[in-house]
Order: sequence, then C-alpha cells, then structure tokens
Amino acid sequence: MTTFRAESPSRLAWKRLKKNKGAVVAMAVLLIMIFAALCAPWITPFDPTTQVLEYSVKPAGFTGLIFYKINPSDSESPSIVAVRDYQVRGDSVYYHDPAGEAYVIARSALIGSGADDFVARPTFWLGTDRFGRDIFTRLIYGMRVSLSVGLISESIALLIGVFLGAIAGYYRGRVDDGIMWLVNVVWSFPTILLVVAFSVLLGKGYWQTFVAIGISSWVDIARIVRGQFFTIREQEYIEATRALGFGTFRTIFRHMLLNAIGPIIVLSSAGFATAIIAEASLSFIGLGVQPPTPSWGQMIKDGYGYIALGTNWGMTIFPSIAMAVGVLVLNVFGDGLRDAFDPKTSQR
Amino acid sequence: MIPFIVRKIVYTLLVLLGVVVVTFFIRPPGDPARVLLGQRADSASVAALREQLGLDKPLYHQVGTYMVHLTKGDLGRSIASQRPVSETIMERLPATALLATTSILIATVLGILVGVVAAWKPNSWVDSTMMSVSLLGISLPAFVVGLLLVLLFGVVLEWFPISGYVDRGIEYLVLPMVTLAIRPLAIIARVTRSSMLEVLGQDYVRTARAKGLSTSAVFVKHALRNALNPVVTTVSAWFAGLLAGTYFIEFIFNWPGIGLAAFNAIEKLDYPMIQGTVLFTAVIFVAVNTVADILYGYIDPKVRIS
Repeated sequence: MTTFRAESPSRLAWKRLKKNKGAVVAMAVLLIMIFAALCAPWITPFDPTTQVLEYSVKPAGFTGLIFYKINPSDSESPSIVAVRDYQVRGDSVYYHDPAGEAYVIARSALIGSGADDFVARPTFWLGTDRFGRDIFTRLIYGMRVSLSVGLISESIALLIGVFLGAIAGYYRGRVDDGIMWLVNVVWSFPTILLVVAFSVLLGKGYWQTFVAIGISSWVDIARIVRGQFFTIREQEYIEATRALGFGTFRTIFRHMLLNAIGPIIVLSSAGFATAIIAEASLSFIGLGVQPPTPSWGQMIKDGYGYIALGTNWGMTIFPSIAMAVGVLVLNVFGDGLRDAFDPKTSQR
Repeated sequence: MIPFIVRKIVYTLLVLLGVVVVTFFIRPPGDPARVLLGQRADSASVAALREQLGLDKPLYHQVGTYMVHLTKGDLGRSIASQRPVSETIMERLPATALLATTSILIATVLGILVGVVAAWKPNSWVDSTMMSVSLLGISLPAFVVGLLLVLLFGVVLEWFPISGYVDRGIEYLVLPMVTLAIRPLAIIARVTRSSMLEVLGQDYVRTARAKGLSTSAVFVKHALRNALNPVVTTVSAWFAGLLAGTYFIEFIFNWPGIGLAAFNAIEKLDYPMIQGTVLFTAVIFVAVNTVADILYGYIDPKVRIS
C-alpha cells in the first residue's frame, strides 16, 4: 500500500530552494556572517575602540610590537602601547616607541607575570585606521550594526506594512483610500531622502537610525500585502471563515496573512539589503550610528580622505567589499526565495 | 479622457498636501531654535530666533503659514546663508539636471543594449557574466561605486579628475555621471532581459521566425519593440529617483548641485534648506509620475477605468 503525504507550500519552497546552488551559497555566507557578528568578541583580536595611535593608517598585513598595559579603569581590556624594541632589567622595562623616544615602565604596570606575557606582535590583517584601530575587528563589529539594522528596521517596516496593507486589502473602500493616500504620500519621497529626513527629526543615534529606516520602508510591503488580500479575499475558504462566524481579526491574521506569506518573505529579504545600504549611507553622511560604535558607512567615509592621498586604500576598500558581499548574498538569497515560492516567475 | 486627467490631478494635489505636511515636520528634535544656537545661548536670543522663525506660534498656525508661503513659491530662508532657499535651489538646479539627464540617458542606452545581448543566448556565458555584473551593480550603493571609481580611474590610472564641476572641462562630468548611471543601468539591463525573454516566448515571435526572418530582424523589429514597455516604466520611475541619487554623488565629487547644498544643510541642521531640497525632489517625483500615469491612460484605455 502506498501512502501519500501532502506537502505544505513552504516545504515545497524549501525543497526548491535547496536545489538552487546560488541561493544555497548565499545562505551559507549569510550564516557565516551572522555567526561572526554574534561571536565578534571571541574571533576578533582587538577591542573595536582600542587605539594604537603610533600604528595609525597601516596597510593590510602590518605587524607591530606592542605591550599590554594594565588598564586601571577596566581590568578586562588592557591598554596597548606601541613599541619598537625593549629590554627587561629587574623590575623595569626599558623600551623605545616607534618614533625612537626612550621610555621606562615598571613591570608591575604591565599585564601577566611571565617573562613575555606583556609583549606581543599581532598582525593587523586588514591594516589600521587613522586612530590605529584594527580594521578587521571594526569590520566584524560593524557587521553587528548592519545586520541588526536589517533585522530591526525590517521588523518595524513589516509591522507597519503588513498591518496597513492587510487592513486596506480587507476593508477596501474608504479605509483603503485613506491608507493608499498615506502610501502615496510616503512613496513620493525617495526612500533615502525620507530616511535622512527622519534622522534629522529623531536625532542621531543607534535606535533613532533603526526607527528612521523602519518607518521609511514599509510602503512596498503594504502595497504587496494589499494586492494579495484583494485576491485572497475572494477565495472560498475566506467565505467559509465568515460562515463559521470567525472574527475579523482571526480571519485576517490567521487565515489570510498566512496565505500571503510567500511574497512578504521575499520582499523582506530585499528590504533587509536596502536597510543595510540605508544605514551605511546615513553613517557616511554623519547621521546614523555614531562613533565610536563602528559601522561600515562610517569606516568608508573615514577612509575616503586617504584614497586621494593614496595612503591606505584598505580603509575604504575592505568595508566596501564587506557591504557589497553582504548586500549581494541577500539579493541572491532573495531571488532564490522568490523562485522557490513562485516557480512561475523563475527566469529559467 | 478629460475626467480621467482631472481625477489624476486632484488626487495628485491631495498627495502633495500630505507631502507638504510631512516636509514641514522635518526639523531638529525639541526646540529648533535651541538646537541651532547651541546649549550655551542665552534664553533671550533663543526667544528672538523662535519669533523670527515663527516657532512661537501654535503648530497649526505654523503649518498654515508654511503652506501659504509655498503657494507663492517661498520656501523660507536658509538659516546659514540667510538667502531664500528657492534662490539657492534654482541656482543649483542646472548642475543636478545635467548630471541626472546624462546619467539616465547613458543608463537607458547601455542598459537596453546589455539586456538585448544577454537575451540573445540565455544562460550562455555572455548572459551569465552580464547578469552577475549587473547584480553587483545593484548590490553596491552609489557612494561605494563612486569611491571605487575614484580610486581606479582617478588615483591609480589618473584618467579623470576626481572632484569639481564641468565649467573646468567636460572630463569632470565623466566619473560622477558613470557612478550615477551604474545602478539604473544594471536594473534596466535586467528588466530588458527578462522582458525580452518573455516576449521571445510568444506565438507571434515564433510566427516571425517561421516565416524565415533572420534572428536579428526578429529581435529588433518584433521583440524589442514590445519588450520596451516595462523598460519605459523603469526609466521613468528611476529618473525621479536619480534626483535623490545625485545627493551622494554630488557630495563625493564636490559637484555644486542641489544635493551638495542639502548635504551642507544637514551638517549645519539648516532645516529650511533641508525642507526645501526634500520638498523640491518629492514634487518633481510626484509630477513625473502623474505625467507618466496620464500618458499610460492615453495609451491604454484600460487604465482609465478604476
């Protein structure tokens, strides 16, 4: 006897997605990025705000001798001193800084008890910025900002967009007219200008940025949900919910919304990428996430002045590459999702 | 046709009303006068500025005054330069318009070309390469593309100047124009390709092939003409977006357009200037879209009924 099991649409979509090589690679890269962002403190060699001013604007792969000095205000993160050479004599350490000045420091002011505990020669894989901060470290921490912007702003946008779109699509008539008017007003502003405008209104900062981007990018979601609801509303199972006496709320959010989920997921992954670009653009013009919190847009801006000088291109290039890769994999993944949810629109 | 146009225009005015109200609220948080003068300013001068800016009046009064002034084309005065905002915008408009029009032109011509070439042999290496590059073009924000172009063609190869306006020579236009064109180019190429592939699968194309027309004749005479509709939509939608796109480009290349003025205003929190530039861009955007809608109604009678 053969048994048949009906497969849910999302299960079928997942199966199709797994067959799409590009989307699988994109998903893998995305997971690695999420993992790196979550584990930033353990995989980065420095603290994102630690400055070694003597080693500022160094190219990728630079190695420099450093001392770890006990930081009286924070025992967890020792401060760093750049050193050219050193000699231990009894309780004191004699050293020259990179400029050749001679100094002496008590052994007890440095960390550890072993002979070489306090000295290291780390490699700055991607070089350093103008404050001598490790670019690799800041890149990974910047990823935290970018990914959380994508997550939080997109959630805000989803909340507003799904709610307004659902209401407009379900009630139609005057409610729809009113909501569509609002949609058209917001849509009249190019997204990035609206984000800038809201940032001026809300002020600079971490949360303000998330909110500014979120409340600027719900329009597309509202439109799609509304369009979906227009068709879903006419289906027999919705009539059935009415016949069964279900409340409007239950019908909208349990029965209609779940059937419109495919396009919403697809749009969200595109919105995620747009949010990352928006945050970087904001940071680039000095709004958005504020220093010393590292963000990619800020890093690109910081390095921009050095491009023309030709000193350390890495300051701009590496965060640019990171952002390009991030947005690219999100777009590829989003395309894969679209093809998986709706095979008809597939280009192949 | 006339009722359709009237309906469109009335609706556009309603939308513009909302746009104006939203624009009005673009101002620093809290007391703008306090923000502009700084924490150390004495309360007398803050009060004086409040009065000068009309901030002492109730909010509805302020919105009303703002609208009345707008109908006279008065966008207020810049706080930094004390000059009328509209004057600055008009002065800067030619630079922005030059950049936007040349970019969309180049993006449209090259984008259609790339799209058609890619659709010639779908999934060939030419197609895959072009589509991968265009995906990269979509994924990079304009300011990053700009920086990379500056680095390659400005600093390493030294082919083009990296900062300045065309009054010093046409070569100053090249990098900003290309930077601005890349994103729309990539999108137009992708839209053209998928639209071409869709059209090429239709019966009348098969008929054209069956009657012995050459591939190029089928492509150019029969398929492309019908495939262009979505492309035209994309181009018109992008043209308005481009005006906003120029903001970052103008900043990077020190191009003296509206965007650069807006940027400087953002740094100084010169909010009448920010409001003016944002409103100007939004109005252009709305106007372009309304004209496009009316044109669609003219071409396609189905659009008129709704």
